[in-house]
Amino acid sequence: MEHLAHGKSTLIKLILKEEEVSRGNIIINGKDITYLKPRRVPYLRRSMGVVFQDFRLLPDKTVYENVAFAMYIVKATPKHIRRQVPMVLSLVGLSNKAKMYPNELSGGEQQRVALARALVNNPTMIIADEPTGNLDPETAWDIMSLLNEINSRGTTVVMATHAKDIVDNMKKRVIEINAGVIVRDDKKGGYDSGK
Amino acid sequence: MGSNYLIREGIKNVFKNKKATMISLITMICAMFLFGTFFAIGENVNSVLEQVQKSQGMEVFIQNEATDEQTSELEMKIKALDGINTVTFKSKQEALDLMKENLKDNQDLLEGYEGEKNIFPASFIVTLTDLSLATEIEAKIETMENVKKITSNNDTINTLMKIANGIKIAIGAISVILLMISITIIANTIRLTVHARRKEISIMKYVGATNHFIRWPFIIEGIIIGVLAAGITILIVGAMYDFVIQAIEQSNILQTMGVTLLQFPEIVNLIAIAYVILGIGVGMIGSSISMKKYLEV
Repeated sequence: MEHLAHGKSTLIKLILKEEEVSRGNIIINGKDITYLKPRRVPYLRRSMGVVFQDFRLLPDKTVYENVAFAMYIVKATPKHIRRQVPMVLSLVGLSNKAKMYPNELSGGEQQRVALARALVNNPTMIIADEPTGNLDPETAWDIMSLLNEINSRGTTVVMATHAKDIVDNMKKRVIEINAGVIVRDDKKGGYDSGK
Repeated sequence: MGSNYLIREGIKNVFKNKKATMISLITMICAMFLFGTFFAIGENVNSVLEQVQKSQGMEVFIQNEATDEQTSELEMKIKALDGINTVTFKSKQEALDLMKENLKDNQDLLEGYEGEKNIFPASFIVTLTDLSLATEIEAKIETMENVKKITSNNDTINTLMKIANGIKIAIGAISVILLMISITIIANTIRLTVHARRKEISIMKYVGATNHFIRWPFIIEGIIIGVLAAGITILIVGAMYDFVIQAIEQSNILQTMGVTLLQFPEIVNLIAIAYVILGIGVGMIGSSISMKKYLEV
């Protein structure tokens, strides 16, 4: 984790192929995506679930439809969608809000919808860019414990953050980036360890 | 099932963005109305010119020695030519009567030319389906047996041809300009709709939607609005058309010219086909063009 504007968002953008690399290679799950054709980018994005600081939910779709949308994209069968969406919504604790619209939800609830959307296609990896950035500390911890649970079920969670208390309490692998350079990679680190 | 979802999304979009739908619809109706008006005028001008052309023709005079059999043989031969509309026989007596009529008060000049002494030759009045063939047909008839001579009003024919071509080119050019204006206006309207939903589009892209997946609901929305606009415009143009045609027909100008205008049912098919192609085409092309910019995330 690292300091503001030191390259973590750029890293996420590079992983999502939103930005092109100027130097070096990007390898995800053993696959070199440095020169991935634009046509293939959607398929790369589908292989991972993405969560953003500003949630990025479709405003005119309900909670259910927002999650189902990710499944329509991968051409899931209606039967599969009807089974999978409620399951994921109950995992994030939003079963009773399925018919509500994003603007009727609190920030924490919206982020849980985003998380449900990221999870619904069973990706091997979740990318989270400042997922707690817009949330109050208590809500932030709800999201973090959800991410932790997802991680314990076998999904890799890559999270960019500059929230010190979260990094210190999670005791996960910490990669610090400063001015675009990896300056630290600890197996079980805190925010300031090594300094 | 994938396409079902995309079609449903497209239909939803039409009703979801009521304001944008209304703007696109009204713009399209205006453009189509202009286009339809010019199309209707063009079709009528063409039809009137065709009718005038068909009444023009040539007079083929028959040799006095020709027998009745030879005369009808000549008639058959002329009728067999390409581009002949009608062939009407004018007997010697009819020619004389016509001349008498033309002379009015001086009819006595023709006394003594009645019956056996009739000096006026019998003839065929030949009208053509296509005036541009006039010279060619005239040359062919001239070589036939028992033809004395041919008179044709070449000047009138040529002038008519020039007017017809001029009007066709003018109407064609105006239609093309109107079509281009319509496409520009509609593409811009769609661009506004897409711009208003750029955030939605970028979210879809982040979740891993292909351009194809994002584009189709917009295209279907464009098609629905296009077809809707086509339907409404046909009703408006139809009502206006009947009204204008009735007004013109009451003024008797056309009867004196000996031509009639087209009734709406005669052109409605062409207009409907043009509109549906225009609506679907513009909706599709407009959506694709205006989306291009926003799909590059």
